[in-house]
Amino acid sequence: MRTSRTCDGVTRRDVVKVGVLGATGLTLSNMLRLESAASEQGQAILGQAKSAIFINLTGGPTHLDTFDPKPNAPDEYRGEFAPIATNVPGMEISEHLPKLAGCADKFAIVRGVSHTLAAHALGQEYVVSGNRPIPSLQFPSIGSVVCRELEAPKDLPPFVAVPRTNMAGGFLGVKYNPLNTVSSPTVGRSFAVRGISSSGNTVDDARRRAQLLGNLDVAFQGKESSSQLLEGLDKFGEQAYNLVTSDTARSAFDIGQESPAFSQAFGSTAFGGSCLLALRLVEAGTRFVTLTYGGWDTHNDNWNRLKTRLLPPFDEGLAALFNGLAERGLLDSTVVMVTGEFGRTPKINSRPPSPGRDHYPRCMFMLMAGGGIRGGQVVGESDDKATAPKNDAITPDDVAASLYRALGIDHTREYQTSSGRPIMIVRGGNPVSQLFS
Amino acid sequence: MTARRSLFSLAAILSASWALAADVIPDASQRFAKEDAAEVPEFRRHIVPLLGKLGCNGRACHGSFQGQGGFRLSLFGYDFKMDHEGLKERLDVDAPADSYALQKPTLIEPHEGGKRLDVGSWEYRMLLNWIKDGAKPYDAATHADFVQLHVEPQEIQFRNKGESAQLNVVVEWTDGTREDVTKLCRFQSNNEQVATIDRNGLVVSNDVGDTHVVVFFDNGVMPIPVLRPVTDLIGPKYPQVATPTKIDELVAHKLSKLGIVPSGICGDAEFLRRVSLDITGTLPTESEVREFIADGSPDKRSQKIDELLERPGYAAWWTTKLCDFTGNNDNVMNNIFFERDTPAKYWYNWIHARVANNTPYDKLVEGIVVANSREEGESFRDFTQAMATIYSGDQQQFAERSSMPFFWARQNVRQPTEKALAFAYSFMGVRIQCAECHKHPFDQWTQEDYNEFTKFFTRVQFSNRRDLDAYNALVKELGVEGRNGNDQRNQFNRLAREGKAVPLSEVFVAPLSSNNRRQTPNRNNRNNNNRTSIVTAKLLGDEVVNLSEVPDPRSALMDWLREQDNPYFAKAFVNRVWANYFNVGIVEPPDDLNLANPPSNAALLDWLAEEFIARGFDMKWLHREICNSAAYQRGWDPNETNRLDERNFSRAVPRRLPAEVAVDVLAQATLSDAKNAEMVHKLDGRAIARTTLRGGNNAFALDVFGTSTRESNCDCDRSMEASLLQTIYIRNDADLDRLLSSRDGWVQQIVAELNPRAAVRDDDNSRGSRELRELVRQYDLQETRLAELKQRQPDNPRIKQLEERQDQMKKQIDRLRKANAPNDPPATETADKPKFDAENLVTRAYLRTLSRYPNSEELTSASTFLNESKDLGTGLKDLMWALLNTKEFIVNH
Repeated sequence: MRTSRTCDGVTRRDVVKVGVLGATGLTLSNMLRLESAASEQGQAILGQAKSAIFINLTGGPTHLDTFDPKPNAPDEYRGEFAPIATNVPGMEISEHLPKLAGCADKFAIVRGVSHTLAAHALGQEYVVSGNRPIPSLQFPSIGSVVCRELEAPKDLPPFVAVPRTNMAGGFLGVKYNPLNTVSSPTVGRSFAVRGISSSGNTVDDARRRAQLLGNLDVAFQGKESSSQLLEGLDKFGEQAYNLVTSDTARSAFDIGQESPAFSQAFGSTAFGGSCLLALRLVEAGTRFVTLTYGGWDTHNDNWNRLKTRLLPPFDEGLAALFNGLAERGLLDSTVVMVTGEFGRTPKINSRPPSPGRDHYPRCMFMLMAGGGIRGGQVVGESDDKATAPKNDAITPDDVAASLYRALGIDHTREYQTSSGRPIMIVRGGNPVSQLFS
Repeated sequence: MTARRSLFSLAAILSASWALAADVIPDASQRFAKEDAAEVPEFRRHIVPLLGKLGCNGRACHGSFQGQGGFRLSLFGYDFKMDHEGLKERLDVDAPADSYALQKPTLIEPHEGGKRLDVGSWEYRMLLNWIKDGAKPYDAATHADFVQLHVEPQEIQFRNKGESAQLNVVVEWTDGTREDVTKLCRFQSNNEQVATIDRNGLVVSNDVGDTHVVVFFDNGVMPIPVLRPVTDLIGPKYPQVATPTKIDELVAHKLSKLGIVPSGICGDAEFLRRVSLDITGTLPTESEVREFIADGSPDKRSQKIDELLERPGYAAWWTTKLCDFTGNNDNVMNNIFFERDTPAKYWYNWIHARVANNTPYDKLVEGIVVANSREEGESFRDFTQAMATIYSGDQQQFAERSSMPFFWARQNVRQPTEKALAFAYSFMGVRIQCAECHKHPFDQWTQEDYNEFTKFFTRVQFSNRRDLDAYNALVKELGVEGRNGNDQRNQFNRLAREGKAVPLSEVFVAPLSSNNRRQTPNRNNRNNNNRTSIVTAKLLGDEVVNLSEVPDPRSALMDWLREQDNPYFAKAFVNRVWANYFNVGIVEPPDDLNLANPPSNAALLDWLAEEFIARGFDMKWLHREICNSAAYQRGWDPNETNRLDERNFSRAVPRRLPAEVAVDVLAQATLSDAKNAEMVHKLDGRAIARTTLRGGNNAFALDVFGTSTRESNCDCDRSMEASLLQTIYIRNDADLDRLLSSRDGWVQQIVAELNPRAAVRDDDNSRGSRELRELVRQYDLQETRLAELKQRQPDNPRIKQLEERQDQMKKQIDRLRKANAPNDPPATETADKPKFDAENLVTRAYLRTLSRYPNSEELTSASTFLNESKDLGTGLKDLMWALLNTKEFIVNH
């Protein structure tokens, strides 16, 4: 994971060692919920959405200073921001999110999401896969599962990461890894992924070469299944051919083709440009787009960093995305999920020179929108100091299951690992029904 | 010796009985079973382990850093003082049964964590008795300390699914007592697919394969190997497998237990390609392949290994790897020493000189660990002059200095804790991050261990304060006082370029006394400073060192690393080298040596490390030994028994080429014969010889193929995964177009040889094409730089400007492309279409890309294609493009 550095610099490999932490993960309320959800099974109506946009706020954004404000909490918790009203009565968010406040009817806030992994890499593994990491197996990312379940047009990459991501195919293999754009687009400027951009070679050139390659790439023939690498390379070859021989992908990536009237709202930041790109890609038929927007690891200087650097682009870009999806009639067919790996400590730390908040997985927020999810509501609740869920905790597993449901994917479906072990898409969660009501 | 014989000795070990049983105190569940049990348990021995067992001190519960319900325990235990104090508040010594600490987990009082304990259970009684006795704390002065765990059985071999085995755990304390603590341990399975373990230590067999179950108690962590054979080819049924080297013996020993039969030895061509890429990051040349295959001498493989280890590619590639491990990153050495790139370059060159000379690994590391900027006895003036002379002259000369100090000068290791983490990662392959805040959950490290270890680094400094007067005098002399930092720096660099001494910060070890003073700024305490003249630090898992007796605490660390029985130093390096050749380490991930992550083959790792030490840390010996083993020379083609094996070295696992190697061999394969052969002996412009993280012309490709970012004390900063963008790059990037069309390229060479006139008129060499290619190159380079800049400094005003310039260039490219489009009819069957021997060209193309001869089908198919191409240049380019895009090319196999 090289998108944005975090304080512990730990990466996915550490997951391999997490098993021992898991023993106490399943609380009583979890178990009760599993049971009640099981009894409802069969009644769940699967959604109709066709694509998903996953916005990953790496570093772990503070919940108190964004979507779960606690204006009445004591000084050592509250923080310096005030809440503001949104266009939905009773739903309040931070004053530094004014544009999102203007379109709160389009998204749901999930509060009191809770887990126990306070290291960046582990928390990330959890939220991007919807499964609590275990030592012996890497679970596929949500994007990888979606691309396996929903077919994309041949001449588009099914799974795109802007500019890059920690999401990967896990035990499903590298062939379900995303295409990284490497750089971020800027609104008003032409954009292309190197190699997909026009190279001067004609379609005839490509066809001729591909035919020859087909005849010569035979050394591993028949043995591809012994290696996920070889399998993946075959799949990438096929995809690459389709991408470079058609104009569809080139045009979808080129946000410069968007009218200024429409694109202006996204602002001039990299995040805004990425939101516009996500919209164009899902409009063209890409199944899963993930945007990585890092820098939220605010141990120090929390409020200043939030109000000057982090929140303004986020507010502008995400609001433009919600409004843009609605304007283009894409909000019903596109589910949007926004999350970091954890929340931040409700109690303000005392780090010199300017304090901040530390890692805090027990209470965090996520946003969900589109794909049949009812906007303008708050699902779940945290206690009066935002230190824990007030009632039952919602887990990352539950939110992932909800996303799958919106896409019409049965989250209880089983996959087999390379050695034949059956693994459910989401092992420990169920859709949060309130999101869809 | 064959693998079969060693099986018998193993059987003997397993039948040995548990000899220690006699004086062992039976487990607590028995002792506290009866209602009238009067025994008083101890806090450390019984109560803290019980809290762990019940899950009380887990992250989700009271182990959380913010506690839970106002009650906090140390995460995973081991802070006996804090835990006792926390618990004490929840006890009622006068009415023990009314204690909160008993009423909550039994749900007499509501407990968010649910029911953890039954009234009247042995656990309940144990807690109760402890409270009744006054809930005494652990006292380090009088109570016995932990010695070790004894676990039986020491290895578990299952045959069938569903079989089970019970672990028995006995703890030994310093007072000699031994107690059965099976019921008080935490257990973990490292792979539940192979075996599960329940909370009582019952191991149940699942699928075939091998893993470990791990026992945790107090400060002890004990992994127990568990395996279930993949086939029934075990014991007497295991086939004869040749084991020409000690490595092979040790590998086969493990395989024979698993019933895995290794793949056969690979062919000569496959071997040559694999070993050339692995050792030197370079492809063998066409003639080298021909000669090697034709060579009939029986020891040609080991001769080739020796030869490769003498080539510059070996030194360059292994210097790059060592720069990965030591974190040579110019982004964290900005503005510390002349130009931005200078420290990174010096770092690379310094290591390179030693790898090329095969300096013993411990000596190389010593030059980094106990590095000072100044040589022994060098004055500030001499030092700064020496640096200016090197900087203005031959910068390679820095490598002649006795040490390389920049490891300690990085901006990301300013704090002693950061230095400790970096040291442990680089030279021990150990991650002690966890212990910064709590007991390491998978290893023996406690927070105290971490703090004690950190003390070795508190006096290591990078600053101008070693001799501030001399520093200031030089500033004054140069007449740059009062200028702002940037201005001053530019001035210094200009002067240094002329060979003039300029002020420099330096790495040095501050004297003990001054350090003490700085740590206690309270002036009233001045008298106390003399009193606390003894400062100690503790080696990880080892003894205490009196720092007041050593001028440089790091030398004590270095002595410790070098010791014969140091558990990390040699192993970490041996394991990383092994991982380079086998896709995975014997410990995997290779930089995570911890007790709960044991080696897949402990005997193998032990032997390699011991022998490496015995051979005086001879790095080339290690490479030679590994590459000469049958294990390394196996084919990639799996059989039914080893299809799923990726951790016991029974076959070659296909792996993608590392970023630098991929970039280099794409270039090498497409260059003319002369230039191609040059690459074997010259490193100019090679990615594997890149001295800083800046990728220059190859920045984009290196990024796409996952070059190490060297930023987070993790070997995984380098990515070895395949990706769609990598495939798109080789298929369609303008870089590849340029390589295939280059005037230095092989295609141009052949076309020119066969028909000089055609070459001149070739489309690729028309001025328009060349101009376009150059423009595209410029555009792509700038785009990469622009993206970097945008990420680093999103508010930089230059961005807008650069973007506009790029957009202009883009328009020009589009215009040129339109103008160059092949609107004239394709070259007709002209009289000067050269005659060529297609089969010969195809063979040469194969040898220079895939390092083997084509088989007859491939030969026919490719020759037909060439003959039918509209012209030779186009046909050859297509052929080369196809070969570079085979899986065989980008995968080392």
